[in-house]
Amino acid sequence: MQPRGFFAQIWYTFTAWGPQLAKGAGITMLIAIIGTVLGLVVGLAVGVIRTIPLGKHDGGPARRALLRVVNVILAVYIEVFRGTPMMVQAAVIYYGLRQALGLAMSPLQAGLLVVTINSGAYLSEIVRGGIESVDPGQDEAGRALGLTHWQIMRGVVLPQAFRNILPAVGNEFVINIKDTSVLNIISVTELFFVGKTVANMSYRFYESYLAIGVIYLVLTFVTTRLLRLLERHLAGPDSYTLATSSTMPDSVIEPGGTTMQDALRLRHANILTGSRRAAGGTQAKGRTNG
Amino acid sequence: MAETVIETKGLTKSFGENEILKGIDFEVHKGEVVSVIGASGSGKSTFLRCINLLEWPTGGHVLFHGEDVLGRGFDTTGYRAKLGMVFQQFNLFQNLNVLANCLLGQLRAGHKSKEQARATAMTYLERVGMAQYINAKPRQLSGGQQQRVAIARALSMEPEALLFDEPTSALDPEMVGEVLKVIGDLAHTGLTMIIVTHEMAFARDVSDRVAFMDGGVIAESGTPDEVFGHPKHPRTRDFLSRFRQG
Ligand SMILES: Nc1ncnc2c1ncn2[C@@H]1O[C@H](COP(=O)(O)OP(=O)(O)OP(=O)(O)O)[C@@H](O)[C@H]1O
Ligand SMILES: [Mg+2]
Repeated sequence: MQPRGFFAQIWYTFTAWGPQLAKGAGITMLIAIIGTVLGLVVGLAVGVIRTIPLGKHDGGPARRALLRVVNVILAVYIEVFRGTPMMVQAAVIYYGLRQALGLAMSPLQAGLLVVTINSGAYLSEIVRGGIESVDPGQDEAGRALGLTHWQIMRGVVLPQAFRNILPAVGNEFVINIKDTSVLNIISVTELFFVGKTVANMSYRFYESYLAIGVIYLVLTFVTTRLLRLLERHLAGPDSYTLATSSTMPDSVIEPGGTTMQDALRLRHANILTGSRRAAGGTQAKGRTNG
Repeated sequence: MAETVIETKGLTKSFGENEILKGIDFEVHKGEVVSVIGASGSGKSTFLRCINLLEWPTGGHVLFHGEDVLGRGFDTTGYRAKLGMVFQQFNLFQNLNVLANCLLGQLRAGHKSKEQARATAMTYLERVGMAQYINAKPRQLSGGQQQRVAIARALSMEPEALLFDEPTSALDPEMVGEVLKVIGDLAHTGLTMIIVTHEMAFARDVSDRVAFMDGGVIAESGTPDEVFGHPKHPRTRDFLSRFRQG
């Protein structure tokens, strides 16, 4: 027996298929979160490598030659994964690994891999832009103190770059929530796949797709708001206290979550546990290609 | 005369086709305060940056205690740690508070213990009158305060020589005095300093020697009285007279 009326029908879809839809939404969020976090790790590594100075007096000739080769490979990686649809990437990687290499991954594993690699390509460019947007004077001051490139990166440039790119990383996360829907091509049981299944079984196409549309909207809306809170939290306090001998801090080199590790740690902890302070954000804009 | 700390011989620097430094012979001795003056674009900053290798010289030599710093295998990073630099734009680390700014170099490049580094930093923050502000972030401070912290940061490395590149040029007029006072006080402590400045009265006061740069060379060099009182080179006279009017 099926209910009549528009809202009643949508409500019916939710109640009748609630557990399946919830599980689909869970898988969607799982892939989006893990894919974005791992993608950020990839993006940080690639972005950092691509900003290693290659001047005539930076390191020996062999090291510079090696770096040039690595940079070309990384540039190709970024071009390829930003220049092709994630749906195609998913199909090629899933079936390709299976047929060419005999490596049978589960759809979920393959989905995580694809989102990670794909986000890594986008985030590499975001990280690189973030690093390049830090005032060159910061690097010069570090060099003038006798710090190495890596010490300056870790202690000065990356923490500042990370702050700057946080909105873009949040944006990528929101995009991933929506774009994991393409993984239905390799039968990952994420939200869209579940919606499609429900539609086919109930013959209620319009209502089913509308129902998952509503769920996507709730997911991205909540995520965006949480990301914004996180950003505000990481911006830190506006005021400082004058020191007297009793208020001098014990640990000063890394005050209040200002280092890369602190920021990342906080981010991971909050996002993975879904805590209230998690993930702040940005508008979910379309992915810009190229 | 005291031993030579830094010496340049025939130092040249080109950016592309454009030769900015055209053979600079220069030296600064231990405990000496040398001011470098000259018109905008004459290459003063480039000269300082070639000394601590923020720019790599195109030709000539830079010697540190007689050792060629451009030579193969020379420890550039360790060398930079022995020279302090104060920038026109302060360049404090924006992500770190005042104290952490003065600790980073000591801990990472200097390998000191946290306690030692902290004590050293506090000594110099005290000296520039910024000890109260150790918890502040750079963006929360005035330009003059930031520059004083930048001086303390450089001093915390206990460098053998300190390079100043127009330390007061980016400051509002009312803050110039506080920074010049700090630098002037340092000049009397026996620190070796090279100061690029447009503050002529200050240069005359604190310097043991003044070098006038023009067209990529040092056109004239001598005691403040010689250069300011009886300039020999017509370009020096011209520059100084324009300066007095302007
Ligand atoms: N990285 C660079 N690339 C190309 N040209 C440069 C570079 N750095 C400096 N120059 C040029 O070198 C010349 C000297 O610059 P420099 O900054 O050394 O002058 P300055 O004497 O410090 O001037 P100011 O008093 O304005 O600071 C200028 O014409 C400048 O345009
Ligand atoms: Mg200059």
